[in-house]
Amino acid sequence: MTSWSVTGLESDLERFHLGPIDLDLAPGRVVAVLGNSGAGKTTLLRTLAGFLPARAGAIRRDGVDLTVAPPERRRLGYVPQGLGLFPHRTVERNVSYPLEMRAVLDWKRRTRALLERFDLVRLADRRPARLSGGEMQRVALARALAAQPELLLWDEPWQALDVEARHALDLVFEELRATERVPVVLVTHDPALAFSAADTFLVLRAGRAHRVADAATLLAHPLDAFTARFVGYANVVDPPTLAAAAPGTLYAWLAARAGPEGVAFARPTLEPGGSGAWSGVIRTVHPTPEGIALSLRVDGALVAARSLPPSGGALPAAGAAVRFDVPEGSVHPLG
Amino acid sequence: MSAGRGGTPTLRQRHDGWPWLVLQLVLAGTLLLLFLLPLYALFTYASPSEIWQAATNAAVGEAIWLTLFASGLAVLAAVIFAIPLGYLLGRRSFRGRSVVESIVALPVAVPHLLVGLGLFLLVIPGTPLYRLTQSIGFPVYDTIWGVVLVMIFVSAPYTVLASDLAFRAIDPRVLEAARSLGAGPANAFLTVSLPLALRGIVAGLLLTWARAVSEIGGILILAYTVYPGGPYTGPPTSTVSVLVYDLFSSGNLQGAAAVSTVFLLIAFALFLLVRVGERTGWVPWRRGELLP
Repeated sequence: MTSWSVTGLESDLERFHLGPIDLDLAPGRVVAVLGNSGAGKTTLLRTLAGFLPARAGAIRRDGVDLTVAPPERRRLGYVPQGLGLFPHRTVERNVSYPLEMRAVLDWKRRTRALLERFDLVRLADRRPARLSGGEMQRVALARALAAQPELLLWDEPWQALDVEARHALDLVFEELRATERVPVVLVTHDPALAFSAADTFLVLRAGRAHRVADAATLLAHPLDAFTARFVGYANVVDPPTLAAAAPGTLYAWLAARAGPEGVAFARPTLEPGGSGAWSGVIRTVHPTPEGIALSLRVDGALVAARSLPPSGGALPAAGAAVRFDVPEGSVHPLG
Repeated sequence: MSAGRGGTPTLRQRHDGWPWLVLQLVLAGTLLLLFLLPLYALFTYASPSEIWQAATNAAVGEAIWLTLFASGLAVLAAVIFAIPLGYLLGRRSFRGRSVVESIVALPVAVPHLLVGLGLFLLVIPGTPLYRLTQSIGFPVYDTIWGVVLVMIFVSAPYTVLASDLAFRAIDPRVLEAARSLGAGPANAFLTVSLPLALRGIVAGLLLTWARAVSEIGGILILAYTVYPGGPYTGPPTSTVSVLVYDLFSSGNLQGAAAVSTVFLLIAFALFLLVRVGERTGWVPWRRGELLP
């Protein structure tokens, strides 16, 4: 079992500056790197993988400094965005590639085992161009594991997959976590994936490590609008909207609880009786398995709300006036 | 992927409408006609017996051998020198890159008599290069080496440009994946970059070969008559292009047409062989992998 430590890591890509980044990667830990486009997520992964030189700081594996080691010496499985499958090689020879490069003697047997494990045997002779998105992901993962990595770096793993393929890959990932105990750093835009797979979140903002936190902390203290939206707060109100609020309205009440970057609050739940401090008009109605998602027009702006599924009754109608409460505990200042 | 099976649709499968298809066929056909008519004139001018005579004539045979051998060396030189330059341009960014790109394009753009003249001035007696080439046993003026030198000059850029494009087209993330999976730079080049670029490179090499065998301007000045020396040991001869020019200027139209026909058939057969190889998949650049 190896553990990695990243301390004060900085790198530059043209005008973009990344860092300083500090991360501890114990065996089995899964870190999700979050951030807006251009926040430096891929740059961080490429620096860890050795494709961008570190300007400062250190990357250590069990205390051994690998900061300037070439990519092939780092023993990591890097799955780039788009997967980087070899288009000219069959599935089997994609998976066997790391074993060939390390001149592993029983590469055929080990390739076979990986093909079986990832349900790729019947696709062994196909080229990547003739695979579905989910199949390609499995090939990329099998190939990365063939290298017997001591750290898995994965850029947008669930990108462009249909629902079925995502679910299948979720299961593969679960199994992987249970058996391999390899630390994983994954970059994702997908909150559902991040929450199901990761135990630690690194939030990047303009190249800097804005937060390192676990899921519970992130939910309780989202701190900024991006993180709040990412973790699932449907209502994020920016400072101009709060500043323009008339006295006595919901937004004036929120302004008193806001931080410099505004405020976030969870979807208020509409009670069947129709009581509450605030009033609004239903604009849209979307039934979901978890209840009915509503959008309400409140004091000239929109509020996302929800109501419980009707037990035999009719759905709330668009245009209907409703009353609701925003629980104090669901409101979080930002910034 | 063969046409019409999920790949490029065949003419019949397209649903673009007749007027559009007819326009394409007329325009493409006009150009094909322009290519074919002079060939038709050549093939029909000399009688079959004259063509057979030309094909079995020893002097013509020597000219054909010289042309094929020298152009083969030019292609070899392109493999050794032009592919690395193409790789450099396609995969690395460096200061002065546009200058290098312009230098590479130059031989394609200038009239080839100028090329011959430039090389001639470089290697005439009294110049340092003349002494150097004499002393190492590669005299250039009126030898096969002169022919090869001109051919490399005018034809290698095609391989540089084609390899540049072919290497540039490779997704850098594929190469990064290879490196992170344990391949050093050389291994990543041999197992990923080169196989992926091979088809483009081969296309460039074919153009290089075609350009080399058809060269005349520079050869007229640097190696009009090729005397024995180096790998060529036969009687004085010249390249096919110069031979045809000679026959034409001495008024022997039948002879010029016959020699041209023989050479065209050889060139056509070589191109056909490569294309058939690509279709059937026995050439490595079609398979995509260097190893079976």
